[in-house]
Amino acid sequence: MTTLPYDIAWCPGCGNFAIRSALEKALSELAVPPQQIVLTSGIGQGAKMPQYLNTNYFNGLHGRSVPLAVGIKLARPELTVLAVSGDGCMYGEGGNHFLHTIRKNLDITILITNNQVYGLTKGQSSPTTDRGVKNPLDPLGNPNEPLHPLTLALAMGAPFVARGFAGEKDHLKELIKEAVRFKGTAVVDILQPCVSFNKINTYQWYADRVYRVAPTADRFEAIRTAESWPDRIAIGILYRDENRPAREIRDLFPVHTGENDLKKLLNRHHT
Amino acid sequence: MEFNLKIAGEAGHGLLSIELGVTEILARTGYHFFATKNYMSRIRGGHNFHMIRISDGPVHALGGNAWEMLLAFDKESGRRHGPTLSPDGILIDEEEIRRIGQDVKEKFAGSFAANVVLMGCVLAAIGCNPETLPDAVMNEDRLAMIREGYRYAQEKNLAGKFPIKPAAGKFLRFDGNQALGLGAILGGCRFMAAYPMTPATSIMNYFANAAGDLPLHFEQAEDEIAAINMALGASYAGLRAMTATSGGGFDLMTEGLSLAGMTETPVVVMLAQRPGPSTGLPTRTEQGDLNLLVHAGHGEFPRMIFAPGAIMEAIEIARNAFDLADSLQCPILILTDQYLADSIQVLEQDVPLSVSRRNDQAYDETYRRYALTEGGLSPLTCPGIGQALVRVDSDEHDEDGRITEDLDLHVRMVDKRMKKTTHMESFSRKPTFCGDPEAEWLILSWGSNRQIVEEAVSEINKAGLPLGALHFSQVYPLFPGMTSEWNLEARTLVCLENNATGQFAGLLKRELGVDINHKILKYNGECFTAGEIREHILKIMEVKP
Repeated sequence: MTTLPYDIAWCPGCGNFAIRSALEKALSELAVPPQQIVLTSGIGQGAKMPQYLNTNYFNGLHGRSVPLAVGIKLARPELTVLAVSGDGCMYGEGGNHFLHTIRKNLDITILITNNQVYGLTKGQSSPTTDRGVKNPLDPLGNPNEPLHPLTLALAMGAPFVARGFAGEKDHLKELIKEAVRFKGTAVVDILQPCVSFNKINTYQWYADRVYRVAPTADRFEAIRTAESWPDRIAIGILYRDENRPAREIRDLFPVHTGENDLKKLLNRHHT
Repeated sequence: MEFNLKIAGEAGHGLLSIELGVTEILARTGYHFFATKNYMSRIRGGHNFHMIRISDGPVHALGGNAWEMLLAFDKESGRRHGPTLSPDGILIDEEEIRRIGQDVKEKFAGSFAANVVLMGCVLAAIGCNPETLPDAVMNEDRLAMIREGYRYAQEKNLAGKFPIKPAAGKFLRFDGNQALGLGAILGGCRFMAAYPMTPATSIMNYFANAAGDLPLHFEQAEDEIAAINMALGASYAGLRAMTATSGGGFDLMTEGLSLAGMTETPVVVMLAQRPGPSTGLPTRTEQGDLNLLVHAGHGEFPRMIFAPGAIMEAIEIARNAFDLADSLQCPILILTDQYLADSIQVLEQDVPLSVSRRNDQAYDETYRRYALTEGGLSPLTCPGIGQALVRVDSDEHDEDGRITEDLDLHVRMVDKRMKKTTHMESFSRKPTFCGDPEAEWLILSWGSNRQIVEEAVSEINKAGLPLGALHFSQVYPLFPGMTSEWNLEARTLVCLENNATGQFAGLLKRELGVDINHKILKYNGECFTAGEIREHILKIMEVKP
């Protein structure tokens, strides 16, 4: 492994290393200058991702990476904006933002580093933890059904839905590139093992199950593919709708309100 | 001379349309007026009333005297408000309104024609010159209905019964939330994200409507948490940004406020108060959220809180808030309330039409977002305009914006952030004084009570009694220099607020060591009237009215 110029807070063997490297390569191959890229993230081990990349970032609060990304994109449509955070952050604390941001269909990319467990708080159930898994707060086993994030994204109308795996780095890199290039909201759920707190969903566990799929434009077919879990798990672009236009945004940044605009405003509302 | 009109009935009777219609014509025909409303949190039914005070001179509050005219749209309205009608006052009750409706049904289309006829009747009662109407009412059908109202007033001997001179000349009219909205636009605010909540929604309406023509963006967020985070994202990206809400929505924003404090991201938050706790009384007024704003957000970080008490003051404060937020790189909070939000007033001054803006510099790759400087303020810029990378973190961070757990550096960063308080002193707005500067008795107030108190004090001074009043439009932080010239220790102080506990009185004690001798507190959800304050203060001063 190459030595990185950062004091990295991830455990040795963490899936985030491979995701970081795929993301770094994807951004570099897309040839967008780092000054034009903004990463937003929430809180958790996955949310530390922007710390270890050479670009702009706003590392915000737990669950709130997506509304930050929305604000940034609306203000500066020319910037390349990616929100990156873990399954607890995106699907748990930030679940409401995840739903409603998909509806906006802004040209942003949402990356979820999904290890099916809360790592930083040491091993509790996340929204994607399978039923029956025992952990400190569910000593009798997690009583809840796991969330199927990509089914949810498809139901909300996300036009680009993909799943990657930290164990297939080059494949992941290409997925991220496609997601960033896509004009509209692209959701990429990235399977990754948590070597410290998830002893079930290991590299081997995923490696034995993943298979690659080609994109479809049939949403219901994509939902069926997304729901295939856990015996066979599809990775790749599950769904891609080129016909749905991304929401258009006025470029406000260089324009300012003039005196005549104000006079009109006063006339209209105050006389 | 003045003329006080009350329009009462159920939600759905079109009362608000009458208030807006009458005040629009009053504005265009040059009358001084003040209008406010008392309404329930429902779309149909219940009991609402709208009040318009029309006068020969400037009025910026309810007087609290008997009413010269009552439009009672149902029996309940007659029962409730009939007793407050002046002995020679005009009552048009629900039967009469129905009769007018029947009479004009043939003549005019539209189910609310009778309401417009009633508007004409009101204008006739104050002797509004009918020749000025065509320029004020730009719609022929509407004009005909209003003229019908004049005819009705003639027939009933009501025309000119309470003559008021249109002495105001040409002016602009605003409600409190429109003033905040315009102030924000003048302050260079380009981005607003918010979730609808009474009584803050009309700030959003104003901004969203203006964004149709101006280079502004309004985004309706999925919740208040998203709203403040979107505003912070836009601010980080280089646009001056704000959000607005009421108390319950603000509760949700507090983690975002703390984020603004830590990341030193400029943001303006407007809070329009209503009675709480919890959902409380959604459409009524209170000043119960001062302590909330002073203490909102976990951890320690500086903030400034303003509470305008007049239209011009609201415009100025909202405008300056955006300059301050950028200069100090911290949240600037503005407190208003349902009373000010829903009161339509005449603005006697001119609005200066220059728009302030943020001018970010382009930096090279050596840029450090949190560079430690003498004064505690680091250079602010946004991504994508130079070679600089802008790294912002909610964790404690180093000068580059990367997470740190270096505890010595944490202390230096805390000190850096807290140093902003010292700069705030030079930006402070001093309180406004009115009345007799030599008086022993002084009323202290803040926010929307300013002009109600001013009228009460002026009346008392006119009666030959010495009394002064000091109004705070900056409620936090409070610096000794803000009040030193008024020598508060030597006076008898009465603090007047719309809450049950005297939150500002407590803050004055805590921040300035000022002891309040008496409190006048009102927390039934309604505003004070000038007459009510007069009565209270005379009682406390033990003066027989």
